[in-house]
Parts: sequence; structure tokens; C-alpha cells
Amino acid sequence: MTRGIAALLAFALAQGTASGNGGFRDVTRDAGVTFVHHAAPEKKFIVESMSGGVALFDYDNDGRLDIYFVDSLTVDTAGDPKQARSALYRNLGGFKFVDVTDKAGVGHPGWGMGVCTADVDADGWEDLYVTGLGGNALYRNNHDGTFSNVTERAGVTGGGWSAGCGFADYDRDGDLDLFVSRYVKVDLKQLPQFGRDKTCQYRGVPVQCGPRGLEGESDFLFRNEGNMRFTAVAAQAGVADPSGSFGLGVGWFDYNEDGWPDLFVANDSGANFLYLNQKNGTFKDVAFPMGVAVSQDGAEQGSMGVAVADFDNSGHFGILATNFSEEYNSLHRNEGQHFTDVSFKAKIGAISLPFVGWGTAFFDYDNDGFLDLIAVNGHVYPQLDKVKLGASAGYRQRKLLHHNRGDGTFEEVAAKFGDTMIEERVSRGLAIGDLDDDGRLDIVTNDLDGAPQIIRNEIADAGNWLLVRLKGRGVNTGAIGAVVTARAGSLVQKRLVQSGSSYISQEDKRLHFGLGKAEQVDSLEVLWPDGTTTAMKNVKVNQRIEIPQPQ
Amino acid sequence: MRTAARVLALLLMLGVAAQADALRQAQGKQQASRATVLQRAQQELTSGRRVEAKRLLTDAADRFRSVQALLLLSRVQSEDGDAAGALESLRKARRLAPNSEEVLSAFAQMSLAAGAPVPAVVTLDALKRMSPSVMQYHYLLGVALMRVGDRLNAVGALQAAEQLEPNRALTLLALGIAHNSLQQYAEAKSVLSRAVELDRGNADTLAALAEAEQGLGELEAASKHVQQVLAGAPQHATANLVAGLVAMDRSQYAEARAALERAVQTDPLLFKAHYQLSLACGRLGDEVAASRYLEQYRQTLRGVQKMIDELRMATGPMGTDSVRR
Repeated sequence: MTRGIAALLAFALAQGTASGNGGFRDVTRDAGVTFVHHAAPEKKFIVESMSGGVALFDYDNDGRLDIYFVDSLTVDTAGDPKQARSALYRNLGGFKFVDVTDKAGVGHPGWGMGVCTADVDADGWEDLYVTGLGGNALYRNNHDGTFSNVTERAGVTGGGWSAGCGFADYDRDGDLDLFVSRYVKVDLKQLPQFGRDKTCQYRGVPVQCGPRGLEGESDFLFRNEGNMRFTAVAAQAGVADPSGSFGLGVGWFDYNEDGWPDLFVANDSGANFLYLNQKNGTFKDVAFPMGVAVSQDGAEQGSMGVAVADFDNSGHFGILATNFSEEYNSLHRNEGQHFTDVSFKAKIGAISLPFVGWGTAFFDYDNDGFLDLIAVNGHVYPQLDKVKLGASAGYRQRKLLHHNRGDGTFEEVAAKFGDTMIEERVSRGLAIGDLDDDGRLDIVTNDLDGAPQIIRNEIADAGNWLLVRLKGRGVNTGAIGAVVTARAGSLVQKRLVQSGSSYISQEDKRLHFGLGKAEQVDSLEVLWPDGTTTAMKNVKVNQRIEIPQPQ
Repeated sequence: MRTAARVLALLLMLGVAAQADALRQAQGKQQASRATVLQRAQQELTSGRRVEAKRLLTDAADRFRSVQALLLLSRVQSEDGDAAGALESLRKARRLAPNSEEVLSAFAQMSLAAGAPVPAVVTLDALKRMSPSVMQYHYLLGVALMRVGDRLNAVGALQAAEQLEPNRALTLLALGIAHNSLQQYAEAKSVLSRAVELDRGNADTLAALAEAEQGLGELEAASKHVQQVLAGAPQHATANLVAGLVAMDRSQYAEARAALERAVQTDPLLFKAHYQLSLACGRLGDEVAASRYLEQYRQTLRGVQKMIDELRMATGPMGTDSVRR
């Protein structure tokens, strides 16, 4: 009898420790990260439910990824911007971080939402763009651990309630332009009253109003005129969204591989946009004909986050959009001429139905050569816990971690990695990057309520890897928009350098390739944003390399 | 009638015997004449003189404020295809007897039949609370909620109906359809397989099962079941929709277009078919048709959204599956 119980215990322990392969570990506290995102406990207003993003970027050029968390105010603290303090953590190595916010000058007092980064002024140092309610901010990197707020001079204040952002060279003039999505119109002095009528109820319980029933905001496109000055061109470019959809996640990528960056915008409670770059400074929304505007049954979804990747190693970039509960996360395979919704076939659809999805990313966590998928979740109504849940998860929700089986399907495996991955939280932003440069991708989240999570990837039996940093020539020093193709045996993988992705967040811009048992990368080809290419042969695995664009 | 009864009681209380007697006699006469009129209406109906029957029932309803007459009148109007008239009769009956289960039940069923699911939902929700053990109310509520697009609450109502009376093929079919609409294809397949066992010849059940199978990527099984349905009912909306979806999955866009066009011909409110049709036409290079179907899709979607908004304003405490949608 005792032996039987012992055997059961041993089995349970084995299950709880990620099948003995190390798994993921929450190291937030040990890492010295004490940031806490502020939010009103009851979320009586929609403006209190949507923040905030997180960025992984190397602000001090020391080769290590640093972390920036965006904070927000509440309606009660709106009059005192200093009540919100976004935070920059410098990576000291060895998973130790130190808060350098005050020295860097990026505490960003005010109502923060999202973040994206890029070397906007082409000086080789990453700059920081933070979106929010009542104006955005561009922080220029001073190369000495400090930033200067150059927003007004640059002309990228925006205004209203901005959410997602991303830099890309849409007009291919060499410099980086900026798209900013906006959500709903908010007047803090005239907020729709909590639970005021039947449109502000959820299953009979009074909740915050919106976004349906509220007026949406148009979006911004800022064209870089050089010398750190931008011009608002959304209307003339055809991406202004005059009808005011509820814009959130943003993903720049060249879906039709014509060399010109296109743009996907995730809209809450409405059809998404896929803007086709018409190569003349204008765009055309082709989301419907391409099959990425709505769900496969034609229903508008509440889309939040965006991940773009060649998840099936087909050579084409597909799209994942996270959605509201009772709406599946939509996985669109790029067929070349159009997209096909493969959410259910790929087995990520049904399992996502109870969750409100936010940050999301494709990443090869076990380095087997196939991109896995993560989505972080959390509802918008704390009041939900008081009512019968039906098909929904509660207010706090666990993560979804989908392991790519390499056959077009995914298996949801979060539970195999124990508490770190299945702890119920109210997550929003998510960014993936290799924080300790060990070739295993780590996870950082920004939660609406409370502390963020820094999750260290400690998978012991992960495959070989390669981490590629691109150095563009000319103005786009980060090579944003570049695509790298790695061939290793039968594995052919494609990665994209992106500014802005997930849910209003910024991922590591270095490109990570999981290589399984491959001993070398047979060929590595870089397609630079200007259309030129660089090829390399027989690259050693398990190393970080930098590829400069030839002059 | 109630006023008369109150006056009578008052007169008796006051001891005004003569007047009370007179009033009692008048009431008795009135009841007798009401019974006579209803009896005559029934006879006219039996003899096939429906117009005269309706006239008598309308007269009885007006003169005696008779709920019975109004219920019978609505039934006759409904049988004659006058749904609006039937609903109006039931509305009058509801005003006279707002708490009558019989009246409420008739009103809800008539509303559903007349294509007015919002009042049906409100009424059935009240009935469900009045008589929680009556399976029919939960079932009808589920059906009505599906009609207004409130899929999540529909599943709840239908599951309650299934618990009260297990293994009823109709309930399982409705539950399967509701699961399908929520893309809960595994759950849908499970209940629909049971429904097929219980009612093998039902084309709707087979088509819904095929839809679940298509959602699960089981294209062969879906195709087989669709063909079974279409052999007997070539215009079946759901079967054609699934045939179209299977063809889309197989990149057979011309076949998809043909099947989806049949689906929307049969059921113009099937916005999923309109949407997929726009995709099929686009992939065939027929941009004009793609735009046309896209517009039809948008119009249908707007109509459904309007209905959901209406329901939201009407039901309140019941809520809908999500205020964000």
C-alpha cells in the first residue's frame, strides 16, 4: 500500500516538474524586478482594463536585453500623473536586473498603454516610443544611459487613447515610419457610468461599458521626414480608419512578399485590418478578401494581440490574433495568395474559447525547429467571478502554451510545466527574448493587476540554436523588416525583424532559430529591407552572431 | 369582469341586497352568453366556416374580455397564416391575464413562429423562472436564444432541457447546433451523434453532425453525411453550407461557390455562407461577385447585430453572451 502511494507521488512529482526536463521558472523576485502595474480594483471603466505593454530591447548596447514595463493610472488617480511609474530595468547578466528608470528618465508619468522600440534617429542606439491616453512619448536614447523626451519636436504626440505601435519603412525611403493604433474616445470627465444600462452588463452583472456602444478612435501613421521629424499621413495613406474601429495590436510584415511592408491591425469587437502596401505611399484594406478580417463563420471578433511568423515552415508569414472569450484565437495560414483559418485544424481554436487573450508570440521554446505559440490571458471584468461562468474562465486566467508538433497541429502543454505556466493571472503585455543569451527563449509578461512575470526557460533537453542580430546599413540600423532564412538539413525556417507586436509590446529583435539536432546551419540568407541579400554558408550552431549589411 | 366582481362584493358588504342580486344575475347571463358564443365559434370552426368563427371570437373577446376567446382566435389566425393577427390577439390576452402560464406559453411560441424571437426570449425567460421543471420552456428558450445569436445562454438553456428530459432528439439537435455555432465542435459531435442514433432519418441532425465534423477537420466523414442529406434534400441550407466549407478546405473553389450559393438561396440569413461565398468568389477571381456577397454578408451581420442589441435592451438581467460582441 505504502509503495503504491509512493509510486503515485513519484509520478505526480514527475508531472509537476515538466517531465524532468527543467521547464520554465518564475524568477521575477530573484531577478530584482519589483515593478507593479497599477490598476483600479474594480475596473469600473474600460480605460482601466487595457494597459500595459512590455518591451525587451538593449538600451545601453551592452549586448544584453533590458526590460521596460508600461504602467497606467486609474480614474481616481488620473489627476496625478506621477501615480503611474513605468519602469526600465537594466540587465546585469545572470538574470539580475536593476531599476534604472529615474536615471534614464523614462518613468513616463501618465496613462501608459503600449510600447515599441527602434533606432529612430539612426545613431545605432534604440529609442523608445510609449503610447497612452492623452498623448504618446518618443524617448530619444542619449547613449549615456539616459533618454530625452523629443515627442513634440518629432511630431508624434498623437493624442486620444493610443494603444499599439510599430515602426517600419513603409515607403522604402530608408528611414523608419511609425503606425499607432487607437482604441476608443475617452473623456475622463464624462465616462460612461459603470453598469449604467443593459449595454453595460455581463450576464446580468453590472460591468464597465464598452467598447461597443462607445465611439472608436482613428489611427495614426507618421512618416519619417528625417532629422527626427515626422508628418501625420494616415488619411492620405488610407490607414486612418475614419470609421473608428477599436484598434489594438499591430503587426508590420510583408504578407505578399513583394518587398513592401504591409500592416495587420487587430481590432477589438470588429473586423481586423490587413493593409496592403500599394507601393505608392497608400494602402488598401484587404482583410476581407484575404480572409483575416473575421472568424471563419463570419463573426466579428474582439481581437487584442498579434503574432506574425512562418509557424508552419512554409516560407510564408501567417498571423495569430488573440481574441475575447467565446471567440477562438485565430490562426491564419498564409497560402501565398490568401490566408486560410486553420485555428481548429491546428488544434489551437477550441482550447482558447474560454479565455480572453492578449499578448502572444510564436517562439521555439524547445529549439526543435518548429515555432511554438504562447498566449497570455485574463478577463476584463473582475465582477465575472461573482456570476456563473458558463463556458468562460474566470477573471484570472492561465496561459496557453501550444507546442508545435511539426505536422500542422499544436498541443497545448502549459500544465506540463507546472505552476509558472498555469497560475491564473490577469496578463496583458508579453514579450519573448533570450534574457541570458543561452539560446533558450525566455518570457516576460506585464500584468494588469500587480507584478509582472519574468519566466526563465530552463528546458534541459532543448535543441541546438542560433541567435542572429542584424545590423542594417544606412538609417534603418536595426534592419527592421529584414527576413532571415535558415536552412539546416530538411529544416527551412524564416524569421522577421519586427518593431511592435504581441499585445502592444516589443519582442527581442534578434532572430532566434531552434535547430534540433542539426550540427550546423547549412545556409543563412538575409533579405534586407532594401531588397539586397546576404548569404552565409555552414554557420556553427549554439552561438550568437551579428550580420552587418554590406555597404 | 374584475370590476364587476369588485362592485358586487362591495354591494354585498354594504348590504344592498337587491342591487347585488341584480348584478349577480347579469354576471351569470354574461357568462352564459360568453359560453354560447365560444360554443358557436367552435361549431363554425368544425364546419369549416373560419371567417365566421373568427368574427364570433373577436366579438367574444371584445364584449366579454375573454382570454379563452383570444387564445382560440390566435390559434385560428395562426392556422390561417395570419401570424401578426395571432400575435396581436395574444398580446391582448397577455394584457388581460399577465400571469397566465397558458397565455405566456402561447405568446412565446407564437412569437418564435412569427419570427419575433426577442419577445419570445423575454417571455420564455419568465416562464422558465415560473416553472423551472418544465423542459419545454428551457428548450424553447434555447431555440429562441439561438435565433437572436445569444449562443452561450442558448447552450445553458438547452443543457437544462436535456437534464430535465434526457435523450430527446430535438433537444440534442438544438444543443448540437448551439455548440457548432460556438465552434465547440467536439461537444457538438458528441451530442449530435447521440441525436442521430435516436432519429436516424433526420436530415437536420445529419447536416449539423457534418458541420461539427468539418469543424474538427474530419472532411471525409463530413462529406459522407452531407451527401446523405443532399440525396434527399438537395437544397438543404446547412448541408450545402458544409459541402461548401469542405470544398473550401480542399481548395475546390468552384464547387464551394456552387454549394454556398445553394445554401444562401435556401437561407438568406446564413451569414457564414455569405462570408465564405465572398472568399470563394475572390479566390476564383470573380471580384464583382466577391464584393456583392461581402456586402450581403455585412447586411446580414448588421441585421443579426440589431437583433442582439434589441435583445440586450429587452432582457436586461438575462444579459447576452458578451456585451463586447
